[in-house]
Amino acid sequence: MMKQLFPIRHVIGYIASLILSAAALVVIYMDLSTTVDLVILSITAIIQASLQLFVFMHIGEDADSKKELYINIAYALFVGLVTLFGTLYIFIWGWYA
Amino acid sequence: MDLERFKVHGEPLIYGAMISIALATIGIIVGLTYFKKWGYLWREWLTTVDHKRIGVMYILAALLMLFRGGIDAMMMRLQTAAPEMKFLDAQHYNEVFTTHGLIMILFMAMPFIIGLMNVIIPLQIGARDVAFPRLNAVSFWLFFFGAMLLNISFVIGGSPDAGWSAYFPLASLEFSPTVGNNYYSLALQISGIGTLITGVNFIVTILKMRAPGMTLMKMPMFTWSVLITNIIIVFAFPVLTVALALMMFDRLFGSQFFTMANGGMDMLWANLFWVWGHPEVYIVILPAFGIYSEIIATFSKKNLYGYTSMVFSMLIISLLSFLVWTHHFYTMGQGVMVNSFFSITTMAIAVPTGVKIFNWLFTLRKGRITFNTPMLYTLAFIPIFTIGGVTGVMLAMASADYQYHNTMFLVAHFHYVLIPGAVFAVIAGFHYWFPKVFGFRLNDRLGRHAFWWIAISFNVTFFPLFFLGLMGMTRRTYTYSAETGYGPLNMLSFAGAIGLSIGFLLLVYNIYWSTRYMPKDKTGDPWDGRTLEWATGSPIPAYNFAVVPNVKTRDAFWSAKQDNIPLFEEKITKIHMPSNTGKPFILGVIFFFFGFSLVFSLWIPAILSGIGILIVMATMSFDRDHGFYIPAEEVIATEKKLRGETV
Amino acid sequence: MKIDASKPLEYATEENSNKIFGFWVFLGAEIPLFATLFTVYFIMVNRYASGPSGREIFEIGPVLIETFLLLSSSFTIGLAIHAMRHGYKKAMMVFMAITLLMGLGFIGIEIDEFFTYIHEGATLQTSGFLSSLFVLLGTHGAHVSFGFLWGVAIMIQLWRQGINPATANKAFIFSLFWHFLDVVWIFIFSFVYLKGLM
Repeated sequence: MMKQLFPIRHVIGYIASLILSAAALVVIYMDLSTTVDLVILSITAIIQASLQLFVFMHIGEDADSKKELYINIAYALFVGLVTLFGTLYIFIWGWYA
Repeated sequence: MDLERFKVHGEPLIYGAMISIALATIGIIVGLTYFKKWGYLWREWLTTVDHKRIGVMYILAALLMLFRGGIDAMMMRLQTAAPEMKFLDAQHYNEVFTTHGLIMILFMAMPFIIGLMNVIIPLQIGARDVAFPRLNAVSFWLFFFGAMLLNISFVIGGSPDAGWSAYFPLASLEFSPTVGNNYYSLALQISGIGTLITGVNFIVTILKMRAPGMTLMKMPMFTWSVLITNIIIVFAFPVLTVALALMMFDRLFGSQFFTMANGGMDMLWANLFWVWGHPEVYIVILPAFGIYSEIIATFSKKNLYGYTSMVFSMLIISLLSFLVWTHHFYTMGQGVMVNSFFSITTMAIAVPTGVKIFNWLFTLRKGRITFNTPMLYTLAFIPIFTIGGVTGVMLAMASADYQYHNTMFLVAHFHYVLIPGAVFAVIAGFHYWFPKVFGFRLNDRLGRHAFWWIAISFNVTFFPLFFLGLMGMTRRTYTYSAETGYGPLNMLSFAGAIGLSIGFLLLVYNIYWSTRYMPKDKTGDPWDGRTLEWATGSPIPAYNFAVVPNVKTRDAFWSAKQDNIPLFEEKITKIHMPSNTGKPFILGVIFFFFGFSLVFSLWIPAILSGIGILIVMATMSFDRDHGFYIPAEEVIATEKKLRGETV
Repeated sequence: MKIDASKPLEYATEENSNKIFGFWVFLGAEIPLFATLFTVYFIMVNRYASGPSGREIFEIGPVLIETFLLLSSSFTIGLAIHAMRHGYKKAMMVFMAITLLMGLGFIGIEIDEFFTYIHEGATLQTSGFLSSLFVLLGTHGAHVSFGFLWGVAIMIQLWRQGINPATANKAFIFSLFWHFLDVVWIFIFSFVYLKGLM
């Protein structure tokens, strides 16, 4: 565990998050297609969320539990995404013609 | 204030229930006072954080709920035994089948399974307790008071009556204006929080507190099944939490989630309910599979066949269980491609289950089989559950399901998987582990009698329902005309139900008889067991193991006995134990009042209880009690008394 | 209580490590919880009946302030834990206090936002869209509010006991919760507000 006093990783993470949030604003101030907008929002959100998870929450810092924690998040995302996309499929994209 | 809402009118049966509840409550209070047992009750049970005691309380509650749910079942079978019976009117029939489903699944099967988990898992992994003993107690009391809230609905305000699945728009305020379905959303929510906490607790316990040397692939199969079950619990229950909350918002605060106007979407309820509901049935069945694995291996005196494939099949089942939910509502309006996708996933999930059946059969092959009560339930499970399973594959085919959906065929299918699957397993597990907890076995002759009554009567009760469904009889109907021709098979089913009652009464009688007359077992290992729980004394000391075992193989206790591999090699030292606490019980009581207040829209009491909950949580946060130590001398003395020698 | 000196204080006993692990599992459970709320929102986003749509009521100004506050508070709680690991109790308390104050600011703006909507005739009861909006935002806000109370309780314990294995463990777990709330907000910011104003 690095014992350096100045929290450089936190500062970089914070500034990067601010930039990403600002970058996402492009979807309302520029006239782009819906698909491109959604891609931009997804990418900025996922990168920011990953910064939180890895840099701020130190998910991988304890070697004894690293693997289990990754599996935990993966399973959680699996259930969340299945619920989300499954429901959208049932009610909107896959509704009877 | 409108006091009329609190009363339930008319039925002599309900007045009878009110009087019995009042008498029973008075009886309990008088009895406790007369025998001066209030202190004992508080110190030993209400404030316990011991996983074994908590497990016993869960199982006791489950047995009581088994009887309540069973009486509901008898009433239903009686009402439908002949055409145009006048025993229950439509409204009360609706309340009875709703309560039957809720109680049997959520307040009988779940607590029975969680109770067995609580008693056995720390012992099987060689640990002294679960990871979070105080939270474990919170889980129990939240379950208990959630169950109490549901049970009180029968006599105060009226029970929920829209089915255990509470579909909208029927369950909405517009079509169910009485408080019944408010009880549904709040009682299930409170118990559900308890279950979620249990999920976290057991995942941490199993992953982090195993005895040294017990790698994941050396764990007993019951432990594996419990680990995977708790993983499903942790990820499925939050969906129910949301669904119930949205239901509460619609019914109490006028939101438009599941309404039919103003942008509401009633079918969304069914979707969310089953996203949770399907994993829920796997939560109920996987521990049952684990119990069967233990019993088959022990009473065939053989290693479980195909350990690795057993583990993998459960992992695959856990993932697939989140991918099949739409098969509960194939007929609700989504397109053909959606139904096809879910048909395929549903049929796929039968495959890993089939793998397990074959592994059990291969374990039995060439084993030295003991035909005692637990083994009989297990052997009966295999063919009878298979009937349930293959009818499930029939239902899985979406186009065919248009014919079967919501008929008695479906009712027969799920009883054929739930009863031989989950109920036989918990009864078998109860018989199997009873001597470990109480120090004497249940009488095997009485047990086998009860088994035959139950196993045969079960088929007499439910097999006719397949045919009734194919003949066109819909589920959840309180009566039918003679012209339909449904009469004879329903009467046969009713006869079977009487047989089931006799079987269950014999089971209870066995508990009483055995308590009086069965000899005490001092060895702690009445079955020549294979896994670590049998390596403790009976009754089990508070600290479980005087010395933490050192595990080298699967079926560690069996190897220790057969190959003389020592298990307990360390010296006895002082043992750290968590302190009892009354806060979980108090939290449960406050949650009960919170739920009750919301059911009746009593806003001030609700807010006050809500604040009370936060206050109790704060006191738990500020709690600096870090437990106490049992000195080594006391441990040595206890072990001497139990085993007659030092370890 | 055996202390492993090679690990930070909050991980240093077996009980401490288990509590942190258990909390991560709990956060794993919160993911499907919020995913379900998002699912309901996305299904209902166009079901605004005779009421207003998102485009008509969302204002980017307060949303940007809320985002800045929550993101910055996530940064300061990170600094608090960093200070804790170096043993600086006073710095830690200051950073935690700033975190909680920013959280309080976030809640204040959100409450104001809700009252503005209600004032404009956009209530929980108006439409499916508004019901799902209020419950998604409200659940997140309730978590932040609960976190505020929890944070205060921890600060009191830190003030009285200083940094020890028990308080370090609680503070670290609290920080996990706080970071998680920012993760959820990132998705609310992007897929509720920005998408609604696209």
